[in-house]
Amino acid sequence: MSFTAIAVDIILNSLVLGGVLLIVAIGLNIIYGLSRVMNLAHGSLYALGAYAGFTLVASGLNYFAALLVAPLLIAVVGLIIERVIIVPVRKRSIVYTLILTYGLMFFLDGLIKYFWGNEPRFIELPQFMRQTLPIAGTHYPVFRLVTLLTTAVAMIGLMLFLGKTKLGIILRAASSIPEMVSCMGINMTFVHAGAFALGCVLAGIAGVISGPLYTIDPIMGHEMLISSFVVIVIGGLGSLRGAVLAAFLIGLVQTLAEFFVTDLAMVIVYMMMALILAFMPRGLLGEGRFE
Amino acid sequence: MAEHEAEKILQIEDLHTYYGRSHIIQGLSMDVNRLEAVSILGRNGVGKTTTLRSILGLTPPRKGKIRINGEDTTRWPPHKVVRKGIGYVPAERHIFPGISVEENLKLAAKPSGEEEAWSMEKVYSHFPVLKTRNRQDGSTLSGGEQQMLAIGRALMGNPVIMLLDEPSQGLAPLLVYEVIQPILLFCLQSGLTLLLVEQNHRMALKVASRHYLMGIKGKVAQTATSDQLMADQDIIKQHLAV
Ligand SMILES: Nc1ncnc2c1ncn2[C@@H]1O[C@H](COP(=O)(O)OP(=O)(O)OP(=O)(O)O)[C@@H](O)[C@H]1O
Ligand SMILES: [Mg+2]
Repeated sequence: MSFTAIAVDIILNSLVLGGVLLIVAIGLNIIYGLSRVMNLAHGSLYALGAYAGFTLVASGLNYFAALLVAPLLIAVVGLIIERVIIVPVRKRSIVYTLILTYGLMFFLDGLIKYFWGNEPRFIELPQFMRQTLPIAGTHYPVFRLVTLLTTAVAMIGLMLFLGKTKLGIILRAASSIPEMVSCMGINMTFVHAGAFALGCVLAGIAGVISGPLYTIDPIMGHEMLISSFVVIVIGGLGSLRGAVLAAFLIGLVQTLAEFFVTDLAMVIVYMMMALILAFMPRGLLGEGRFE
Repeated sequence: MAEHEAEKILQIEDLHTYYGRSHIIQGLSMDVNRLEAVSILGRNGVGKTTTLRSILGLTPPRKGKIRINGEDTTRWPPHKVVRKGIGYVPAERHIFPGISVEENLKLAAKPSGEEEAWSMEKVYSHFPVLKTRNRQDGSTLSGGEQQMLAIGRALMGNPVIMLLDEPSQGLAPLLVYEVIQPILLFCLQSGLTLLLVEQNHRMALKVASRHYLMGIKGKVAQTATSDQLMADQDIIKQHLAV
């Protein structure tokens, strides 16, 4: 393989990885930014999204239709979770939701094992996605390009939603001055629920697009949860732009590290996090809001 | 009796509000009639803001009653209280960062079928400077512009009563007397009721007709009309740092 082929491969792979990390992390960040809830079950919701995608496709649904339906199912699950375990402790310290969502993580993982078992699952892809595309001397899998495209569409959709729609503007306003939002006659209960559902939609999308990238297994959410923590910590808690920067930085570093020193890849990523936090304790862009 | 009650937009009876253990408002009673402008005057820290927060449900009172338009709203959540027709202009202005002037206004819009109703155009016609800055991030406006936006935003909800927390605070006297005071007088003439918290008694005297002079612990030491206050400057000296 030529040098350019390797370079193109590495760049595309880091974009794919960064994109998935970003979608999961932004979901986590939106929930935190609005409700000050650090949802430790977020990784499990991502896994649930992957399994939902798997089951939908296995029962005959088109992959792209599953990509739309699965996230909505996860949003419904999210709304129930929010109502049942987050709302009752909303006014208490963050420790309550940390413990409760930690428990929820094990509950969801157990549920996944109960319904789908321990063996890894694979999402059946449409024929064209199983091809490769010759790009600059490398043969790049089409499903990875589709993943990349989906990430881009999801991010642009999210930006337009937050930037242009009234609901999106309410979410942004509520992330900075929630009290004033309620003083404009807007029920913050719905804002919190909406933010949670939005976070879950993103986890669901990430789950379905990761299906073909990684194997679907009951613990796939754990590593993703940790990685998305790394993303939002490096990017700055609550900051969306910071998350974008951090996700692609980690995507690149992790891909490079995997290429050169496979076994130490994650160690290198964590070392980078430690280094960044040592010099910028509040993350690359500081604690932020949605813009 | 019903008719008499309906004239009172806001009634507060024996209000007690706490922050944690500190008992801030200790038995406040007051009321505001329809089409009237009333002020609460008092020194720093006596509990003026806390009174507004109690009314809005932001810091719900532990004891006492609040009625808006005759309906008991004590301990309602803020969004529900506000929907009774309250416009709130907080002392901090609370302009949403990262959100444009126009979006700040749009967010608050509660269209009303009435001819005189407030709309974006009407707000812009009173505050032309907001129109020229309609795309700018609201939180990057000057203090005066932010105050105009905060007032404009409250008006977009077409309220029946506006609660204003020290609208003249930190603004140049010229701006207070040529922009803030006129808009408040205009609102009053066009049928809005005002509850104005102030330390700037000069403006309060021009806008409001009745005044509650608040002492420590949110206790109303005295009520007075503007004429009484003007005739007896000592009252002001006693209750405000002048
Ligand atoms: N969040 C809070 N927690 C605890 N105490 C508070 C809080 N907010 C206000 N207080 C206290 O309550 C008292 C009344 O405060 P409040 O803000 O109502 O006064 P104010 O009359 O509006 O004063 P100012 O003119 O300075 O705005 C003060 O002693 C203040 O220290
Ligand atoms: Mg105050």
